[in-house]
Amino acid sequence: MTRFFAATSVLTLGIASAAVAADAPSKADVLTTYANIAEAKYDDSLIAAKALQEAVNALIAEPSDATLNAARAAWVAARVPYQQTEVYRFGNAIVDDWEGKVNAWPLDEGLIDYVDAAYGGPSDENEFAALNVIANPSFELSGATIDASEITPELLAETLHEADGIEANVATGYHAIEFLLWGQDMNGHGAGAGNRPFTDYAQGDDCTGGNCDRRAQYLSAATELLVSDLEWMAAQWAEGGEARAALSADETAGVSAILTGMGSLSYGEQAGERMRLGLMLNDPEEEHDCFSDNTHNSHYYDGLGIQNVYLGSYTRIDGTPVSGASLSDLVIASDPSLDAEMKVKLANTMQALGRLKSTAEAGFAYDQMLERGNEGGELLIMGGVDGLVDQTKTIERIVTTLGLDQISFEGSDSLDNPDAVFQ
Amino acid sequence: MRFLAFALALTLPFPALAQDRGPILTATVDEHILPGFAALSNASGALAQAAQSDCTATSPDLRAAYHAAFDGWISVSHLRFGPSETGDRAFALAFWPDTKGFTPKALSGLITAEDDAIKTPQAFAETSIAGRGFFALEQMLYDTRFADQGSNTYRCDLIRAIATDIDLNTRAMDEDWANFANALTQPGENSPYRSGNEAMQELYKALVTGLEFTGDTRLGRPMGNFDRPRPNRAEARRSERSLRHVELSLIALRDLAAHLSADHPEIAADLDGAFDKAITRAQALDDPALAGVADPQGRFRIEALQQSINDIRAIASTELGPTLGISAGFNSLDGD
Repeated sequence: MTRFFAATSVLTLGIASAAVAADAPSKADVLTTYANIAEAKYDDSLIAAKALQEAVNALIAEPSDATLNAARAAWVAARVPYQQTEVYRFGNAIVDDWEGKVNAWPLDEGLIDYVDAAYGGPSDENEFAALNVIANPSFELSGATIDASEITPELLAETLHEADGIEANVATGYHAIEFLLWGQDMNGHGAGAGNRPFTDYAQGDDCTGGNCDRRAQYLSAATELLVSDLEWMAAQWAEGGEARAALSADETAGVSAILTGMGSLSYGEQAGERMRLGLMLNDPEEEHDCFSDNTHNSHYYDGLGIQNVYLGSYTRIDGTPVSGASLSDLVIASDPSLDAEMKVKLANTMQALGRLKSTAEAGFAYDQMLERGNEGGELLIMGGVDGLVDQTKTIERIVTTLGLDQISFEGSDSLDNPDAVFQ
Repeated sequence: MRFLAFALALTLPFPALAQDRGPILTATVDEHILPGFAALSNASGALAQAAQSDCTATSPDLRAAYHAAFDGWISVSHLRFGPSETGDRAFALAFWPDTKGFTPKALSGLITAEDDAIKTPQAFAETSIAGRGFFALEQMLYDTRFADQGSNTYRCDLIRAIATDIDLNTRAMDEDWANFANALTQPGENSPYRSGNEAMQELYKALVTGLEFTGDTRLGRPMGNFDRPRPNRAEARRSERSLRHVELSLIALRDLAAHLSADHPEIAADLDGAFDKAITRAQALDDPALAGVADPQGRFRIEALQQSINDIRAIASTELGPTLGISAGFNSLDGD
């Protein structure tokens, strides 16, 4: 009898949860919101990159403190929507295959332009760490002579970027542009960002740093590439785009992709690689936006992107709201207390990252926080790290609760096609 | 009866209905984790003493103690949670891969400035992790660029400071494990693990992350690609420990896998066979620093070793994980 009753009870329970599930949004609706938010974020990133391009054109046409500062301000503004897209990495192959072109970091900036003597020359890891393509119209790469007499988007994207297979050879994207606008930050753990003079873009006798015409060419080419790369990605998320299609091909895998992006960005990437590592190394250049000292914002908007994807609600840079059925709604339907836990943890992280941001904006720069023995800085950064690590645990619980456990977290031959391994 | 059965059904997570994690958690802690950290702590104590007796970089006793303690670390280096994560201890013991050359930079910085931080363990513990731990010690003992940099006295004191720091760090891990063992074996409200499943997930994660690190990083980094092998990226190549790390980590992971699969003899046998093949391949290689990645013959054999590690990973993720009802979740290698 016991056995029979137990079976009945399990059955009853199954029916009960099916009834609850009826109130849940469909996975398709959740994925539509997720894709709509991606489209809005990449479109905002594109709009902001075009504004950056205009400001860069003005700087090149008429170099001055005013035009340089305007270009820097446009770069900082462009980071706001872009960083919020980073949560689309790790779960979407199309984003991962592309991302290195626009936001690769860290970089050996000596590849691009002049650097201070203390930077050193070629390293064990990278022969081209100090190539300085702006000063060298011709150089050897893997046995071939490269004609760099004209610095074009093609040269940067196809030859220079990741030259010699080294990831630190970052020739394109936000951080290459950042270096060209700010230059190296020579203040160590002291206050202040990079201080490249506008005269680095002055033509003729006023030129500082040498090769101002080539530097302007480089900046213009890198900005043009950023715009075209973002244009491409925004199109992939538009109606009928490839990224959208990939998501809807398998709805369960699609929901898993949302959580994979949230968890991988929170833990391995942001908490680990970007925040905790820099703190443990006490290195002032081991910060995400090391030339501009904008790291606090990069961290903050990464965190915000994770939160708004979970809540299914994003506010565009012109104030337009984009929202719909969310992952949060889906979790509420199976375990409301787990959803509450997730919301609290995401809010805790945003509070910690907000504290980091407001303190940096008040004048305590991120590279000062990284200094050896700086307890206040360590507390601020570790507050963000702890929040991100803690929210990852709840993301894992959601994966289990939604029954997504056995979906591979990263594309792997052995998982996608086990036979290939056993052959 | 009906009420009882219903209540029972409610409390059990459905996929893991019948899996009691207790015995496996306890056995793994008692037989795999605690002895590993005790051995590491003992070997590190001997290392600190050896450095006090003779801090000469070429001292055979010091080098032997370095190898023994490093062996101890590699054998527990897959257990990156709890006491290893507290206070950045694991990072401070072994900062690798060092893609931007932070370790030589940190050591040169200390030596050039004759930094006073080496005078007390507390101050040294505040310095960059890149200048601490086994990889910093390796460069001080084996890299010619540090053989005559700065004064003899400072180099000697620095070597002693690094060895003492390793000793204190590993002792703290060992001591903390006495308490953390309960967190793993008695999950619930007073533990970071809410359930036996979460504790089990931590151990399963350690297995798959350990395999991933050994296959993709320890072997994959020096392998680079066929046209551009990167022998200089081999782990601890200066003291010719690269292959040894692969072998030691596989031996430790085999033991962990045996514990996790204890209730499923067929999977246990599959895993054990796959580990046996990989370890045999590693032991048959006569290439301590993995320099062979740069010549076709040597490379072929290292690729075969890597493939045998991928085979173990496939069994873990397609057989062990699903059978246990556990996924690997997120790990520190998830970033880029």
